[in-house]
Amino acid sequence: MKNPSASSGPSMHDYASANPCTWCDGCGDYGIWTAVKRALVELKFQPWQVLLCYDVGCHGNMSDKIGGYRFHGLHGRVIPLAAGAALANPSIPVMAFGGDGASFSEGVGHLVHAIRSNYRMTFVMHNNANYGLTTGQASALTWQDQKMNSSPNGMPESTLNSMDFVFSLQPTFVARGWSGDISQMTKILTAAIRHRGFAYVDMLQACPSYNKFATHEWLLERCYDANAEGHDPKNFEKARALAVDTQKRVATGILYQTEDAPAFHERLKAREGLKTTPVEEVRIVDTSVWEKGFM
Amino acid sequence: MTRLALKIVGAQGQGVNSVGEMCAKGLKRSGYCVFGYREYMSLIKGGHSSYQLDISADGVRSSAERVDIVVTFNHHGLEKNLRDLKKGGILLHQTPQWKFRNAEDQTFIAEQGIRVIEMPTEAILKKLKAKPILGNVLITSVVWSLLGQPQEQLHELVREQFGHKKDLLEMNFACIAEGFAACKVIAPGIALSLSTTDPQWKDRLLLTGSQAMGLGIIHAGCRVYVGYPMTPSSPLLTFIADMQNETKMAVKQAEDEITAAQMMVGAMHMGTRAITATSGGGFDLMTETLSLTGITETPAVFVLAQRPGPGTALPTWTAQGDLLLAVGSGHGEFARLVLAVSDAQDCFDLMPEAFNYAEEFQIPVIVLTDKQIAEALFTQPKFNQAVAKLRRGALVTSLKELASLQSSDRYDPSAPDGVSKRWVPGMQAAVFCAQGDEHSADGSVSEESENARSQMEKRLKKIEALKQALPEPLYIGPKNPETLLVSWGSNRGVILDVLESAEIKKQSIGYLHYQYLWPIKTQSFEMLSRTAKRTIFVECNHGGQLAELLKLSSGRDATQHILKFDGRPFFYEELRDRVLSALKS
Repeated sequence: MKNPSASSGPSMHDYASANPCTWCDGCGDYGIWTAVKRALVELKFQPWQVLLCYDVGCHGNMSDKIGGYRFHGLHGRVIPLAAGAALANPSIPVMAFGGDGASFSEGVGHLVHAIRSNYRMTFVMHNNANYGLTTGQASALTWQDQKMNSSPNGMPESTLNSMDFVFSLQPTFVARGWSGDISQMTKILTAAIRHRGFAYVDMLQACPSYNKFATHEWLLERCYDANAEGHDPKNFEKARALAVDTQKRVATGILYQTEDAPAFHERLKAREGLKTTPVEEVRIVDTSVWEKGFM
Repeated sequence: MTRLALKIVGAQGQGVNSVGEMCAKGLKRSGYCVFGYREYMSLIKGGHSSYQLDISADGVRSSAERVDIVVTFNHHGLEKNLRDLKKGGILLHQTPQWKFRNAEDQTFIAEQGIRVIEMPTEAILKKLKAKPILGNVLITSVVWSLLGQPQEQLHELVREQFGHKKDLLEMNFACIAEGFAACKVIAPGIALSLSTTDPQWKDRLLLTGSQAMGLGIIHAGCRVYVGYPMTPSSPLLTFIADMQNETKMAVKQAEDEITAAQMMVGAMHMGTRAITATSGGGFDLMTETLSLTGITETPAVFVLAQRPGPGTALPTWTAQGDLLLAVGSGHGEFARLVLAVSDAQDCFDLMPEAFNYAEEFQIPVIVLTDKQIAEALFTQPKFNQAVAKLRRGALVTSLKELASLQSSDRYDPSAPDGVSKRWVPGMQAAVFCAQGDEHSADGSVSEESENARSQMEKRLKKIEALKQALPEPLYIGPKNPETLLVSWGSNRGVILDVLESAEIKKQSIGYLHYQYLWPIKTQSFEMLSRTAKRTIFVECNHGGQLAELLKLSSGRDATQHILKFDGRPFFYEELRDRVLSALKS
């Protein structure tokens, strides 16, 4: 997409907020927060040129700690909110942020249909494998048998394999980052924001307060840059296998991307050839031409 | 007023609707006002359904309980719809060698002087080597002949439909000729007398409430429609979707109602006009989003097309049971507007207003309609395109003003009437957060008591300002009526027809009709009901929900109710008689 900003781009300062951060010490959100700002700065988007949409959860407390137009909505519903915004004005980059609780339990249906609709938006899935803000309950991505708040005998349900699930939906962009590698997250987010359709970004993040299994150290030991090891993001089957297999090492980077599939707004035949966005089209419309059919 | 009613019945999928629509179109073109009413079941094939047309040269806005002619496609209608006929009515059927075996039916036919006419449809189709579907044209031509309407007009109607297929067209013409000929044999000397025509109806539109609402939405400058199918809101989705290549609107059938509501809100936040429509169950799912717009102060428009509840109840029937739902849904306290359309005119006129109020006050607006309005067929004057104005309230668009904005202007608690400035992503200005948590003026999360109090007061201040801006309810009748009827929504048509009936006309009755229901204006109501001998609420629900709202807001208790809650709208004679008996009490 075209970069609408002026030649002199914004700085990190333009995305700064006077509000102090309220995340726990060592929370992965600090890293993701920094990478988001860096990606927007690198892409030369001014804060007034972007919309950042937040779900409810620890990550949602970023909504007033960052520049840009923002919307902090309901739990589990950030994807359709952002999708509606993207549909109304496809010239504005829209990012949505949601946790694993919101994305794989409360609002899992939205994720399914966002992927098949291929809305032009970036979805950053803050994956700390538990419900942090409500003090550490198990999510669908918590490891089975882990003792969590409200499951003192260990989570009885099986863990949902989120990557296998996402790949089963024929996504057009899948990446995985982890909260300790800001530089790689920035690279991933930059590509995701530029992507033609729905970009799914799984951000593995440490939750020092409630996730005692996939800790910062655990992630640090296992995460590796698959692109640096020669993984070709065009290969769907290899990407899927790489994404799903996290037994010994966890592949990160841009795992899969295709630009062949048009975004949702490009698929609307009724709007083909229009130069305007729905935002620019609001006016009283004379309907008498269509009344003839009722005579 | 002279009125005549025609009811076409049969199994769903047999062509009841297409015959009904064809007759309606032809009659309107002849110079009659037509009001169409559909009854059907929640299934696709086989269920018993009907399409009733009430016809008058004087104008008609309601359905009669007893009709002049029943046309039945199958033998079920012979028994099921026999008692829909008035004295001397005609039962036109096509079931060979049909005999009423039930003694009660035989007595009814004899006592009421019902004329049972058999149309030899099968034999004629066989003779013409025509497909069974042509039976529809055949039976329509018999009706046409009985109504004394010209053959050529039926030709014109089928030409419009099949003109591009020559063979089919000729076969249709042959059926019409046979139908007219057969009528002379099977119904000699029988005719349905229609009053003289009035050319004013010829230029009118014939359309459903859903179609009128669709045009109203397009007229309002709405550019994004997001819906999920649910009767009786689905015909609106269908209409808007079918129009998209013309209107270039972005139309999305979402995966559920929550998505539909969220996408609408996201699109509104960006600065376009967007809408979603659903029925009660779907609206229940949308209410968390409704509440969200209360705190983020995002303009939003929801259409709530009512049908009976609770649960799935009667999916294809009508009700006015969701007024209190619209008024009370969504957690927390926030400003909202609830309005109700009552006919095709309202469906068109009030949609731009719904968007205007949503934007001017930065609130959710709920537009109530119901199955009766959504699917009834109205004879409607062409819509006036010059009335609606685009009002977007405190939306800032000028570059100069945008440049002077502060983030804290967005939720400025000192804004007059609680309506602060609004601007949208992509505008070069100070940025803010549309914040679902309690927030300070720039949308930063704040849990401080003083801030929470002032933001709540800011938002709720809008209620009073909105109430001031809304018009009083519509009133027709004498200055100090003895009897005051109060109603809302789809009851308007039948009430207006009843007020013109000979029995009611001479009485001192006024009618107060509410379009804008919440926040509710009470001045006219209080003034009129104070001097009236009796106040009667007419509603299609069990509790008298408008009466409850007015009692709550004015302290005045309704003296009487005329309520109906069986999924059917009020019928003409039914309401007339209930009003007459209420006048005696």
